[in-house]
Amino acid sequence: MNGDRYDDDPHDHDPHDPYDDDLSGEEDRGEEDRGDEEFDAGILEEELRQAAAVLDPVPAELQQIAVDAYALHDLDARVAELTFDSLVDALPVRGLTDVPRMLTFRAGEVTVDVEVTAQGLMGQVLPPQPARIEVLGGPRPGSPLMADDLGRFTGDAPPTGPFALRLRTGEAVVVTEWLRA
Amino acid sequence: MDRTDAAALVQAAADGDAAAWKALVEGLSPLVWSVVRAHRLSDADAHEVYQTAWFRFAQHLGRIREPGKAGAWLASTARHECLKVIRSAQRLTLTDDPRLLDRVSEEGTPEQSLLDAEEAAAQSERVRRLWQEFEELGERCRQLLRVLMATPPPSYQDVSAALGIAVGSIGPLRQRCLRRLRARLEARGAM
Repeated sequence: MNGDRYDDDPHDHDPHDPYDDDLSGEEDRGEEDRGDEEFDAGILEEELRQAAAVLDPVPAELQQIAVDAYALHDLDARVAELTFDSLVDALPVRGLTDVPRMLTFRAGEVTVDVEVTAQGLMGQVLPPQPARIEVLGGPRPGSPLMADDLGRFTGDAPPTGPFALRLRTGEAVVVTEWLRA
Repeated sequence: MDRTDAAALVQAAADGDAAAWKALVEGLSPLVWSVVRAHRLSDADAHEVYQTAWFRFAQHLGRIREPGKAGAWLASTARHECLKVIRSAQRLTLTDDPRLLDRVSEEGTPEQSLLDAEEAAAQSERVRRLWQEFEELGERCRQLLRVLMATPPPSYQDVSAALGIAVGSIGPLRQRCLRRLRARLEARGAM
């Protein structure tokens, strides 16, 4: 994974000091020599903690969604892990703004290729086989799709937000790893 | 949430105990939210990443190799999803959300109603200034402190997973960032 923002932030002032900030000049440099002295960082951190709890708490309705997500716990389904994501694993195409997102998931011998565009999603189950597919957007039931005999499927609405595909092939249930479209 | 607690709750939730799941959500939700906020996503993206992390955690429950490290697992998942959001440049919207700064004075908080008006005003002004100086810190310090201020305080393993920085460097960076914050507050006469 090479998405490490610590290496490429354009706002760096000092390449050797990624935590350098905008405090200007002498004052800033001087403080490093003062060492840890008697300053009780813990008190200030605790004040920040209280401020965050007041000013930027987890929205209650959002936390409730996480509580409800327990319904997604399903030990009977196999999880198809994300093995390719064009957002991470492919070089960006210069000048193209609406590049499809290509995803590959794998669970054992079953592979699911998915392409998400502004128009919708399409994909294929491999080895080719018919499957009943549900496009999940959360703990509620999702919208159904069918994969044809060659394992191909299309959906005319692009997933928005978190999504996963639940596939029922002949013998097995496979769910793709949740990710954000 | 310490490792023993986390491991026990993950195990219980995997075995079908919904209350254990709820306890996990309540204990680790602020950490996940802090990671998302540390990456300055838009509100919509922040909500989606937060959900994605929890959906995936629910999905992997019972398959997680080190259940005691549930916090780090969630933090790391949230971080990677945040980085993906940032990468998909079309959908990136930086937020210098002024509403956050105004929220205290505009809406008030439950805490404030318990205080008398004058004290509340002084207190909220102090909190507001603290938050403002925090928001104006350099990006990395702001990011580190936003994760550190989760409730309960995250372990350095969790912070490391959340930000992709070595555990050993967190302590010194924390000291330094908090010193800088204090210096800013002092310069504004706010301490």
